[in-house]
Amino acid sequence: MTLQVAPPAVGTRQDVQAGEGQPGWLVVAQQECRDLWTSGRGLILLFLFSVLLSAVTYLTSTNQALNFLEQRESVNLVLQFAVAVGVLATLVVGADGISGERERGTLETLLVTPVARRSIIVGKLIAALTLWFATFGVSIPYLWVLGREVGILGPALALGFGVGTLLAVGLGSIGLLISAACNSNKTSIAASIFLLLILFAPTQLPSGLPQGWFFEVLLRANPVASGLAYISALLVEGHAWTQDLSYLITPLLTAIIAGSALIFAGPQLVRLTRGVNAG
Amino acid sequence: MANISVEAIHLTKHYGAYNAVDDVSFSGSQGEIIGLLGPNGAGKTTTIRLLTTVLGPTSGEFSIAGHQSTAATEIRRCIGVLPESSGYPSHQTGGEYLRFYARLYGLSRRQARSLSVELLAAVGLEQWGRSRISIYSRGMRQRLGIARALVNDPSVVFLDEPTLGLDPAGQAQVLDIIRTVANARDATVVLSTHLLPEVEQVCSKVVILNQGRVLVSGSVGEVIGRALIEHSAHLRVPLHHVERARQALMQFPGLTINQVEGQPDLLRIAVETPGAASAASPAEAMNAGLTAVTAAGIPVLRFELEGARLSDAFLKMTSEAVA
Repeated sequence: MTLQVAPPAVGTRQDVQAGEGQPGWLVVAQQECRDLWTSGRGLILLFLFSVLLSAVTYLTSTNQALNFLEQRESVNLVLQFAVAVGVLATLVVGADGISGERERGTLETLLVTPVARRSIIVGKLIAALTLWFATFGVSIPYLWVLGREVGILGPALALGFGVGTLLAVGLGSIGLLISAACNSNKTSIAASIFLLLILFAPTQLPSGLPQGWFFEVLLRANPVASGLAYISALLVEGHAWTQDLSYLITPLLTAIIAGSALIFAGPQLVRLTRGVNAG
Repeated sequence: MANISVEAIHLTKHYGAYNAVDDVSFSGSQGEIIGLLGPNGAGKTTTIRLLTTVLGPTSGEFSIAGHQSTAATEIRRCIGVLPESSGYPSHQTGGEYLRFYARLYGLSRRQARSLSVELLAAVGLEQWGRSRISIYSRGMRQRLGIARALVNDPSVVFLDEPTLGLDPAGQAQVLDIIRTVANARDATVVLSTHLLPEVEQVCSKVVILNQGRVLVSGSVGEVIGRALIEHSAHLRVPLHHVERARQALMQFPGLTINQVEGQPDLLRIAVETPGAASAASPAEAMNAGLTAVTAAGIPVLRFELEGARLSDAFLKMTSEAVA
């Protein structure tokens, strides 16, 4: 077979110089989204989430029927579960972002394109966030079923979306930073899940335990716990939007600091492993 | 002289105390194919990674297509790279893969689509553009990788072991593509490979690296000449013509003729001292001897020149450097 790699018919070199296409971060984000959703990875995670959410909703609605739980508490519980799992999924997808490319041997081909390393990680963060938005979308009907009669569906959705998005941006950025810093994909994902478990552990403590100032500090220092505490304060205790805004400081700071670290320090971390395949 | 499109000047990369690349200098002109040779760990891949801006040099500088090493984005815009053991997203189709990379270079969706069709056809994968990469053979993946390296119509193409793991037919196809890239697109190709016979065929310049340093660089002929290897050849003739062939060759005083042990129809011809034979060079001495044999009406079943090959020069130089 004789192959003819003739000069391209279109003026490729000029088109590349002109660069009239979409910005690099958008192209990366679109491709990452396509990879996440068409490869089935995102859909499998979403399906598992739906199964778990169905089970949780069933349990809370039966408890509600037996008067063990108030409707507000049921909505709060399901919303917290949706936020927790959505953020976990975002973190895991972020944790695969760079280390996964390294392991699959596809990072070097990305690094030799003119797209800035910052654009690569921003594109990957956007793709990881789509999983949070999808999980939140799936949880809406469940929340509607539980909360339609007490008139808290609107506030619950707004709260869940706002707090969850803050947490997803912060933890998704942390996942990508961990991924950029780890040579192995397994290490990256394990470290990310371990981090999330540490952050979620305080939220699972029985509410009857004595809660002193130390507990309060731990709660407020933990972005996940304080974010979920804010949701609880509004939905269950009926506080005003502005009353417990201090709970949002940590989630907000996490999103800002982790996001900035990703954008400013990430490009230095996105590199090939030292000595790998050195010729 | 054509424009210099690749130039490395005292390029050095250290990892702590380990010198991956040490004071490497060479240059290549437009349309030239430069063979980057060396044993495993010689620094070929690191040199390519430095020139493609994936790694930053410890010291030294380089220029690619007129852009200095500090202009990394401009360099990336005008190079094409096939890294060693490059991975491929198995769930994507060949067409999707090329379109994605074309768009990363700033092409619109429409331009990317037409370019991907064109490039798939150029590397013989036009029937496979809609198939997932997971079903591609290794040779098909390598050709797809070369197509990806050409999406920006690069001025300089870096190919790191493009024929690794391919069968002879696959190797021939890839080498054919490389030759065409240099000729038809007027691109400079930097080719890292272990296939020395193929390098002799396609490369106009050779750079031999060992332990991070350049042992020798120049045209294939110059590199062989500098290796100062003993020139010899094997001549196979029908058994009943062996003695006549020996007599024909004995006319040349600089040639030593010996029979190869256990193979009575095979003669080993050596130039005692290159330049001492009646002809001006060892190769010419061999030619003269071969002409004398054929002039005597002796059928030549095989004539294989040794010591005048790049592989001999490579082995001699790299083993000397290790010693």
